[in-house]
Amino acid sequence: MIRRRDQIRLCVQKLGLRKKRAAFAVVSVALGVIVVVAVSSLVENLRDLIVRTQFTEDIDQNVVRIFVLDNPYEFFAPRAKKDQAERTKKRYHFLTEAAFAEMRAWPEVAAADSPVTVESVTVTALTNRPTNASRAEGVPLELLRQYVRDPAELVAASNAIPVVLGERNVRLEYRADQKKFTVAATNELAAWVGREVTLIVGDHFAEVSRFTFDDEQREWRPLGEEEILQQRETVLRSLRYRREATIYSTTLALRGRVVGLCPGNRVLIPLPRAQEFARWLNQRHELSRLVASSEPEEIEYGVRGRLTPRAGEFREGIVVVKKGASLEAVAEKVRELGFQATTRGTAFEELVKELDGAVRVVKKIAFGFGAVILGLACGLLWSTTSRLVSDSRMDIGLFRALGATKGDIRRLFLSEAVLLGMLGTLFGMLIGWGVAFHISRWAIAAARAAVADPEQMLVMPDSVFSVNLPFCLLLLAGAAVVSILAGLLPANRAANVDPVKALRRE
Amino acid sequence: MIRLENISVEYRLKAERVQALRNVNLEITEGSFDAIMGASGSGKTTLIQLIAGLLTPTAGNVVVSGQNLRELNDRAISEFRNRTIGFVFQFFNLPSYYTALENVALPLVFAGVGESERRARARQLLGEFGLEARMHHKPDQLSGGEAQRVAIARALIGNPKVILADEPTGNLDRETGTHVLELLQRVSRERGVTVLLVTHDEKAATFAQRIILIEKGELA
Repeated sequence: MIRRRDQIRLCVQKLGLRKKRAAFAVVSVALGVIVVVAVSSLVENLRDLIVRTQFTEDIDQNVVRIFVLDNPYEFFAPRAKKDQAERTKKRYHFLTEAAFAEMRAWPEVAAADSPVTVESVTVTALTNRPTNASRAEGVPLELLRQYVRDPAELVAASNAIPVVLGERNVRLEYRADQKKFTVAATNELAAWVGREVTLIVGDHFAEVSRFTFDDEQREWRPLGEEEILQQRETVLRSLRYRREATIYSTTLALRGRVVGLCPGNRVLIPLPRAQEFARWLNQRHELSRLVASSEPEEIEYGVRGRLTPRAGEFREGIVVVKKGASLEAVAEKVRELGFQATTRGTAFEELVKELDGAVRVVKKIAFGFGAVILGLACGLLWSTTSRLVSDSRMDIGLFRALGATKGDIRRLFLSEAVLLGMLGTLFGMLIGWGVAFHISRWAIAAARAAVADPEQMLVMPDSVFSVNLPFCLLLLAGAAVVSILAGLLPANRAANVDPVKALRRE
Repeated sequence: MIRLENISVEYRLKAERVQALRNVNLEITEGSFDAIMGASGSGKTTLIQLIAGLLTPTAGNVVVSGQNLRELNDRAISEFRNRTIGFVFQFFNLPSYYTALENVALPLVFAGVGESERRARARQLLGEFGLEARMHHKPDQLSGGEAQRVAIARALIGNPKVILADEPTGNLDRETGTHVLELLQRVSRERGVTVLLVTHDEKAATFAQRIILIEKGELA
C-alpha cells in the first residue's frame, strides 16, 4: 500500500511529464470556477446595494397610484363567494369619473383624479399665469406646502406656472367641497390656467450637490456658497446644450426634484422649462402630422371589457391620502374596486421582488455558464488522465512488477485527476475572489459617485464583496467528486493494464 | 523453493491457439543460480512471468516459498512480488524522471516504507555497487552497465528471495555483460538469493550452476 505522501509525490512527478496538458486542464477548470465564485461573492450584496441606493421616493408618502389591469378578467373581488365570483369580477373596467367620485367620498382621501394624455400646446398659452403666491389660490395650500415648505420658496414657486396642456385652454378653480379642480366660470387671473395633465417635474438645480466628501479627512462637509454657485453655472451651461438638443429630439426628459404635484394633476413648472416643453410638444405635433398614425385597434374582452379606454376613461390615477389615514387601507379599497394600487411600500416590495428575480436569473445564467465550462473541463480532465494512462503503460507494468496493487494504480491516476480538479478550483476561487473584489470596489465607487447626500451614504456598505465559505467548501467538494468521476474510467483502465503486455518491448 | 507442477500456458492469437508452455515440471532450490536457455519464443520469459505471478497458468500450479500463487488474490500476489521477487530487465526499465536513488528505492514505495529509510537503504546498496557518485543521476546520464547495476540494486532493495533476470546482458557489450553476471553471481552467493537467469547466450549461461533448456514450450 503506497503511503499518501508518496502517492501525491508520484502524482506530481507524473503530471510534471505532461505540464502543458495539465496546465490546460487546470486553467479550464479555473475558468468555470471564476465565473461561479465571482457571481456568488457579489450577487447578494450587490442586490442589497441596489435596494439601498436605487429606491427612489418617486411616489409620495401619502399617494396611492392607480393602474387598470390589462385583462379585465384578472380581477377577483376579495372575499367574494364562489357563486358570486363571476358576477363580481370587475366593478370598474377603466378609471372613470364615477370611480374617482367614489374614491373622493372615502373619508381618508384628500383628492383623487386622473392623469391625461399630453397633447400639443402653444407658447402663448403658457403666458397667462399667476404672478405671485397670493394669486396661487387655486392650489390647495396644504398640498403645495408638502413640496414648498419654506415661505421664501413658496414665493419662488409662484414664479413657476401651472402647465397648460391640452386641446384647449381652460381656467380651473379648486372646489374644496368636491376636492377637485373644475373649469372656472370666470376669467379671473387668480384662476389656474390648465388642462388635464400629469407630470412630475422639477428644476435641474435639485441635482446640485450640497455636500462633498473630503478624502483626506474621511468625512462629509457642506459645500460653500461659491462652490454651489459654480455648480449652478455648470448646470446652466448643460441646460443650454440640452435645450438645443431638445428642440430636435422627439422625446423630452423632465428630471429633478418634485416641486409640485396637485390633485387634479396640475403641475408647477418654471416658465423657461414650460416654454421649452411647449416647443418640444409643438415639434412633436408637427412630426405627428407628417407621420400619419392609424387609430389603435380596439381589443374586446368578450362582453365585459375593452383594452382601449374611450373618452372619459383612464388607465391611471392618483389618490392623495389625508395625513394620519392608513395608506394601505386606501390601497386595499382601490384594489377592491378592481384596480392595481401602488404605494411607496408596495413599489419597494415590487422593486425587491424584481431584483430578486433578476438575481435568480443572473445566478442561473452564471451557474449555467460555469456548469458548461466545468463540463468541458471535466471532459478535459478525462482526456488528460486517459492520455497519462496511455503514456504510462510501461511504468504501470513496472510498478505492478515491483509490487503495486491494482488499487494502488487506480488511486494513483484518480489522485492525478483530483489534483488537477482541485488545483483548478483553488486557482479559480482565488482569481474569482480577486475579480469579485475589484468589481465590488468599482460598484461602490460608482454608487458613491451617484449619491450626493450623506444620509444616503450612511446606508451604503463599504464593500459588496463577501466570501461565501459554505458555498466554496461545497464547490471544492463538488470539484473533487467531478474529478473522481472524470478520472474513474481512465484510472480503472490503468488498474487493468496487463503488466506482461506493458513490459513487453517489441 | 520454486516448484512448477504440470504447468501449461495457452493463449489465443487471433483465431489460433498457441501453447506457450506444455506440462512443465521444474524445481529450483533456494540460493541456486540457474539459467534458462532457449531460442526466441521458446517460453523462457513466460516461465519467469509465471514464477513472478504476473501470469496465471492455464493448468498446473506454481509454488514459491510454499505459496501456491493460484490461490492468491491481487493484493496478496502484489505483496508477494514486492517481498519475494526482484526483477532485472533487458532494457533496465528505469523511469527516466527518477534519479538512480529514487529508482532503487521504488519497490519500497509500494511496500509503504518511509522516505528516510528508503533513501538510506538505497544509498547503502548503491554504495555497495560502487554507484555513490551516480545516485543523483537520471538514467539517461548513466552508462548501460551502470544502469543495469542500478536495476540489480532495485531488485535487491526489498531483500527478495528470488531474482528473475530476463536477458540482463542482452543490451550490453560483452565486457559489461560479464561484470553484470559476476555481480549477480556474487549476490546469489553472498546473500543466498535464488537467481533465475533467462538468456539465449551460451556464454552467459556458463555463470549459472545449472542450465535449464527449453524448446517449444517443453523442458528439454
